[in-house]
This record gives sequence, C-alpha cells and structure tokens, in this order.
Amino acid sequence: MSSDVAISVQHVSKLFHKQKQRTFKELIPALFGGQKVVDSFWALEDINFEVKKGETIGIVGPNGSGKSTLLKLIAGVSRPTKGKITVNGRIAPLIELGAGFHPELTGRENVFLNGVILGLTRKEIEAKFKEIVDFAELWDFIDQPVKHYSSGMYLRLAFAVAVHTDPEILLIDEILAVGDASFQEKCFARLRAFQEAGKTIVIISHDLTSVQDFSDKALLIQNGKVQFAGKPAEVIAHYRAE
Amino acid sequence: MREKICGFPYEIQIQGLCYNEFMPDDLTQRILSLPIVSRFVHPPQFYYYRELLSELTKREIKQRYKQSVLGYAWVILNPLLQMLVMAFVFSKILRVANLGVPYPIFLYAGLLPWTLFSNSLMSSVNALVGNGGLLTKIYFPREIFVQSTILAKIVDFFLSSTVFILFMMYYRIPLSIHILWFVPIFLIQNFFTYGLSLVMAAANLFYRDIQYLLGLMLLVWMYLSPVIYPVEMFPDKYRWIFQLNPMAVFINAYRQVILGGSAPNFMSLGIGLVLSLALYVFGYILFKKLEGVFADVV
Repeated sequence: MSSDVAISVQHVSKLFHKQKQRTFKELIPALFGGQKVVDSFWALEDINFEVKKGETIGIVGPNGSGKSTLLKLIAGVSRPTKGKITVNGRIAPLIELGAGFHPELTGRENVFLNGVILGLTRKEIEAKFKEIVDFAELWDFIDQPVKHYSSGMYLRLAFAVAVHTDPEILLIDEILAVGDASFQEKCFARLRAFQEAGKTIVIISHDLTSVQDFSDKALLIQNGKVQFAGKPAEVIAHYRAE
Repeated sequence: MREKICGFPYEIQIQGLCYNEFMPDDLTQRILSLPIVSRFVHPPQFYYYRELLSELTKREIKQRYKQSVLGYAWVILNPLLQMLVMAFVFSKILRVANLGVPYPIFLYAGLLPWTLFSNSLMSSVNALVGNGGLLTKIYFPREIFVQSTILAKIVDFFLSSTVFILFMMYYRIPLSIHILWFVPIFLIQNFFTYGLSLVMAAANLFYRDIQYLLGLMLLVWMYLSPVIYPVEMFPDKYRWIFQLNPMAVFINAYRQVILGGSAPNFMSLGIGLVLSLALYVFGYILFKKLEGVFADVV
C-alpha cells in the first residue's frame, strides 16, 4: 500500500448472522424442532475503493443500504467476512455522538472519559479542556451531570470532544446537523479547517447538499453494493434520478 | 508526545505508526502466532490502554452511588449489615460449632472474598451488553470493559475490608507472618474471576438468559462453598467437592492464613491455581474469537 493512501477497501463483503432466537426459551424448542438458529444475509458485497490522504469522501444511499456497516468496518469495531481493509492513521469516529457519556457524571468528568476513549491522554485533555468547553459554549453547566443537559447541549459537548482529538481520519455518520444554526456553522468551519489541515474525512449523510459541498469524491451504495462512484455532483445526480 | 492509542491492535502502534490491517479471522491467527507467554500477558497493551482502563474504572465506581445520600458508605455498610444478620442467625439461632475464633470474624473472612467474587461476576456479565453504545462505536480491546468492572469491585473490597480490620482489632486476633499469603491467594482468586467473567460477558451478548442463570448459579455456589459454615461441618464423603471448587479453596486459604496463623494447604491452592489459569486461557481465547462479532450482535 502506498503511503499516500489513508483507507483502502478491497473486495470487502460482510455477512450478517441474525440470531432468530434471543432467549433460551425460544432457542431450545428451535434446536429440537430442527429450525434454523441463524439467518444470514450479505450486508455488503465486494466493495472496492480507496481514499487518499487529505481527501474527503461522501457515501450516500438509502436507509439500510450498508453505509453504517461500512463505516463500522473502517473503524475496526466489526470485521469483514471477506476481503481486506487497510487504514493508515488514527481514526476518530463521530458515530453515535456521546456513546461513552454517562448521564450521572458531570460534563467535566465526561469530557475526560470520552477523550480517553477516543485515544487522548489525561494530560492532553487537560491542555485542551478550555478549548473544548469554549467550543461547546458550556462553561455554565460543565460541573452538572449531563443528564440535566438538553439534547442540543449533550451533542455540542460530544462533538466538541470528538473534533478536539486531533485525528488523522474522521468518520462522520449523519451528524452534520448538530445544535442550532450558529453552532452548525461552527461545526462546518471546523470540518473545513480539518480539510485544510490535510486530514482525511469519510462522511455518511442523507444531507446531499452538504455531502456535495464537502466531498472530493462520492460513492452511492445500494443493497450492499457500490452502484456508482465518481464526482460528488455526478453521484448525487445519479442518486436523485432513481 | 507518546504514541497515540489509535484503537488498533497494539503491536502495530508500538512501531510509532498507526496502521491497521484487518483480515477475516486475522486476530485469531495473530493470537496463535504470538509467543506463548505474551499471548496471555500482553504488557504493552496493558500499558497503552492504562488510562482508558483507569477512566472506565473510575466511571464504574462513580456512577453507582452518585444519587444516594450515603454514597460510598454503602460499600462498607452492605456487607457489614449482611454479616451482622448472618452472625445473629448462625451464632444465636442455628449454632455453628466452636471455631476457635468468634463467629462474626470467621464469617467476615469468607463473606468478603465471596462478595467480591459474586459482585464481580454479576457486573461483568453486563459489562458488554451495558456498553453497547461504545461497542459499536470505537475499537479498543473489549476485555477492558470486563477488567474495569472487576477493578471497581476490588476497590469496593478493600474499602469494606477496613471494617474487618477493626473487628480483628476488637477481638484481638493475633497476626502471623503467614498473613502475607493473602497476596498470592487474592491474585489467584481474581484470575479465576476474570477468566469466568470473560466467558459470561461474551455469552450474555448472545443470550441474555445467562445473567439470570448466573444469579441462580451463584446462589447455589455460595451454599456449596464454606462461606457461612466451616468445612468441618460438611459430611466427610462429600468433602471432595471443595477440592474442585476453587472458591472453597480460596476461602479456606484466607481463613488459614489470616485467622489460623499458618500456611495455606498448598495442594489445594495448587489445584486452584491450575484451574484458574486453565479457565483464564480458555476464557481469553473464546473472548478474542468472538470479539469480531460483538458489534454485530449487541
């Protein structure tokens, strides 16, 4: 793999096994009755693409097409059934913001917890703490448990932590629209700054306009297969035409 | 700046490059290709993820008593009250034979390690299910969830042991040098707990029945271990059960070295050690084999 490639996805397929029975009460009769215990289906089939360092790629497609599965494979939380994924650089996933937050802990405690989960050291978080809270505009609430936060505040804090982890590769799953209009603008500005700093970004979104604005290239995924790849404008025109 | 934790297998991080190469089943192959010692010990991984482990442990400890008035005091009060009730029942109503030490002390020496074991398992079984959000979001070795829950319970154990020490002073129980055996026995017990927890946590992801089954299993297990009664009260012909029950071995050994003032039974402890290591190896391999599908089934 040449060193200017950030993500390479080669012939990747993912087979999902759905357990039909989630409890013993359902499982045991099924075993005796000779029923199927798992249902299998291909969530992704023979996906191929490459993202160069500093490029932004947009991935679009209808719900259930396999976009999020692909992102999970890139993040390393799930493994491909076939094929090979190579990632070169530190990843910060912005998938399900605030997944590591604990409602009973304060904003401050959660910043440290989430920062460490995303791969920072405590020292690095201390150094960036002011910047993070400034970005989230949450100084008045930082020592309150996050369960008292509004959902907007919650997402602002989570986004602020995630974008301050200084990753080389940013994975974004449908979170371009966080908070009110002015905060959204801040998020977009931050993403622009990332691009200018030569970071690699993978965006999954149903917001086709922002995908077109941000991406250098795009993929259209349908039913687990790449239907179309190319310039964002072409891909989106193709998607809209269907 | 030190190497970043990039959420990738640690061998690759150490080279200073965050480089991730996933192939189907490659983790299994990688585990099998490691030298036998580092396969199970993983010092570099432990080092690189130490801050994550400590933050998750802190979260585990903090979250529990955030909303209660007495807070951490519950960690001490809970086993203390349990001990007082049991001590009343078994020394005043159902009399347990003369033990050489006061019954509350005898009971506490078994109850505290048992509570540690039982609480560790009960919370480990939910360690993966309860962290589903993280499991599907970012990669780091999943056993850290299990490790952090057990570490939090170990902190509880030491807090609640302070009362035991006060009781020891009150009853003027003499100590001997053999009390140092506490450290290896404690380590072996936690290895055993960790191995079993890995199996339970992974199994519970697939079938949630495991957590209920575990509750029942622990209840039966406690009565088959000499927690509230001494081994000597158990019928002779069934006593071999204790040989195969590592928890019985550990509890006997604690009493031997703390209250009995002599060395533990090395034969029994040796069997306990072998069983614990075997369970740990089995649990770790099983856990790592299933790790790749955790995010898909949670």
